[in-house]
Amino acid sequence: MRIELDVNGEQLEADVWAGESLLYVLRERLGLPGSKNACEQGECGSCSVLLDGELVCACLVLAAQAEGHEVVTVEGLAGAEGLHPVQAAFARAGAVQCGFCTPGLVVTTAHLLERNPDPSEDEIREALSGNLCRCTGYAKIFDAVKLAAGT
Amino acid sequence: MKFVRPESPEAAASSLGNGSVALAGGTDLVPMLRDGLVQADELVFLRDVVPRGVQSGRIGAGTTLAELEVDPELPQALREACAASASPQLRSMGTIGGNLLQATRCWYWRLRFPCYLHGGDRCHARQGTHREHAIFGNDRCASAHPSDPAAALLALGARLQTTRRELPVADLYRLPTEENRNLTALERDELILELDVPTPDASVYLKAMDRRAWSFALVGVAAARFGAETRLALAGVAPVPWLLENPSALEQSTPLPGTAYKVEIARALVRRALASLPTT
Ligand SMILES: Cc1cc2nc3c(=O)[nH]c(=O)nc-3n(C[C@H](O)[C@H](O)[C@H](O)COP(=O)(O)OP(=O)(O)OC[C@H]3O[C@@H](n4cnc5c(N)ncnc54)[C@H](O)[C@@H]3O)c2cc1C
Ligand code: SF4
Ligand code: FES
Ligand code: FES
Repeated sequence: MRIELDVNGEQLEADVWAGESLLYVLRERLGLPGSKNACEQGECGSCSVLLDGELVCACLVLAAQAEGHEVVTVEGLAGAEGLHPVQAAFARAGAVQCGFCTPGLVVTTAHLLERNPDPSEDEIREALSGNLCRCTGYAKIFDAVKLAAGT
Repeated sequence: MKFVRPESPEAAASSLGNGSVALAGGTDLVPMLRDGLVQADELVFLRDVVPRGVQSGRIGAGTTLAELEVDPELPQALREACAASASPQLRSMGTIGGNLLQATRCWYWRLRFPCYLHGGDRCHARQGTHREHAIFGNDRCASAHPSDPAAALLALGARLQTTRRELPVADLYRLPTEENRNLTALERDELILELDVPTPDASVYLKAMDRRAWSFALVGVAAARFGAETRLALAGVAPVPWLLENPSALEQSTPLPGTAYKVEIARALVRRALASLPTT
C-alpha cells in the first residue's frame, strides 16, 4: 500500500507492506537511518521518534498507523544554525560512546525539555527511563540533559 | 496483509476473527506479528472507532496509559498503576484496552515452546525456569499476568462495556482449561469500548520490580477502600489478575520452588498498601 507521511516537515510517500513498522519504513524506505534498530521489542528506546509530538518507539508503531500524522526523527532536530542544543550538549558533555543509544536519547531529551525546560533529577530519570545505554553508565547523559536545560 | 480503517465499532467487531486482528496502539501486537506469534491477513485499526478520553468515571478503551496517569479525576490506584507501567514511549502509544488484553510475557510462550497455553500438554515453566511466574492458579499454566492497570481496575471493581455486553473486569479473565486455553473470556469478534470505574474513598497501587522503573511487576498490589470494605487485587501472581479475598488468603497460595519469594513480597506490599490508605 502507498502511504503519505509528514516526516521532519516534509510530505513523503512510501510503498509499504501493511505489517512494516514505522522504524523500518524510516530507515529502509525513506533514507532516514538516524533512528536506530536495536531490540525491536520496545525495550531499549533507541528507535524513539515523535509522533504528533508524542514520544513513541518507532519499532512498535506500524507505518500505516502513522499515515497522515507528523513524525519527527533525530534528523529533523538540527536547524539551519547547526546542531540542536540537545545534540550540542551531548557532544560537549561526552555523553556519547558507541553512539547507538544517542539518537533515541537526544529525541527523548528534546521532548522532555520542550515540555519541562527545567526538570529535576527525578524528572530526568523518569523521562529517560525507557532509553537504555550499555556504555556510559548514564552519568554523562544526565550531565548532558542538565547542560541542555541550561542553554 | 491488509490494513483496514473500519467505519464503526460494530463494523470493526464484526470483521474480526478468520485472520482479522484488532490493532490499537500496537505496542504488544506489532512485535508479536513480527515474531509470528500472531498470524493476521488483516489488521483492523481501532483508533477512529473505539472511544478515547475520560468523562465522569467512564474511560474510553482507546485512552492511552499516558493520558490516564495524569487525569486527576481518576482513582489514585489506577493512575499509579498506569504511571508504573512500561516506559514513557510505551505509555504514550499503549491503550488501556490493549493493556487489559496483552499477551503473557512467559518466555517459553513468547519463544513458541509447545506449552500448555499454546495448546500443548505441559507447562515448561513449572519444571524449568520460573522466577517471574505465578503463586496462585498455577496448576496448569504458571504464567504471571503482566498488567498493572488490570489489578487496579479489579480492586476498584471496574466494569467493561463491550460491543456485546457489560461485564465486571473480573469476568474478562479466566484460567485455561483442557478445552479452552484462552486467558480471557472475550469473544473473537468482541471489542472493549469503555470502562466504568467506581470512585473509592481511597486507593493505592504498589509495585515490586527488579529495578526501580521500566520492568514488569514481580508483584503488584492494588488496594481500594469503599466505606468499611477494602478490596485487594494483585498483578504478577497468577495467569490472570488476582483478587485477594483478604490478606490471609496469601497463606493459601501455591508457589513453585522459584516463586516462593513472591509470597513474601506480596505480604509486605499488602501490609504497606493497607497501612497507606487513610482510614476515615
Ligand atoms: C517492553 C514492554 C514493557 C511493558 N511493561 C509493562 C508494564 O510494566 N506493565 C503493564 O501493565 N504493561 C506493560 N507493557 C504492556 C503495554 O502496556 C501494552 O503493550 C499496551 O498497553 C497495549 O496497548 P496497545 O494499545 O498498544 O495494544 P495492541 O498491541 O494494539 O493490542 C494488544 C491486544 O489487545 C487487542 N485489543 C486492543 N484494543 C482492543 C479493544 N478495544 N477491544 C478488543 N481487543 C483489543 C489487540 O487485538 C491485541 O490482541 C509493556 C509492553 C512492552 C512492549
Ligand atoms: S507458564 Fe503458561 S505460558 Fe509459560 S510455559 Fe507454562 S503454560 Fe506456557
Ligand atoms: S528498537 Fe525500538 S525500543 Fe528497541
Ligand atoms: S553510548 Fe553505547 S549504548 Fe549508549
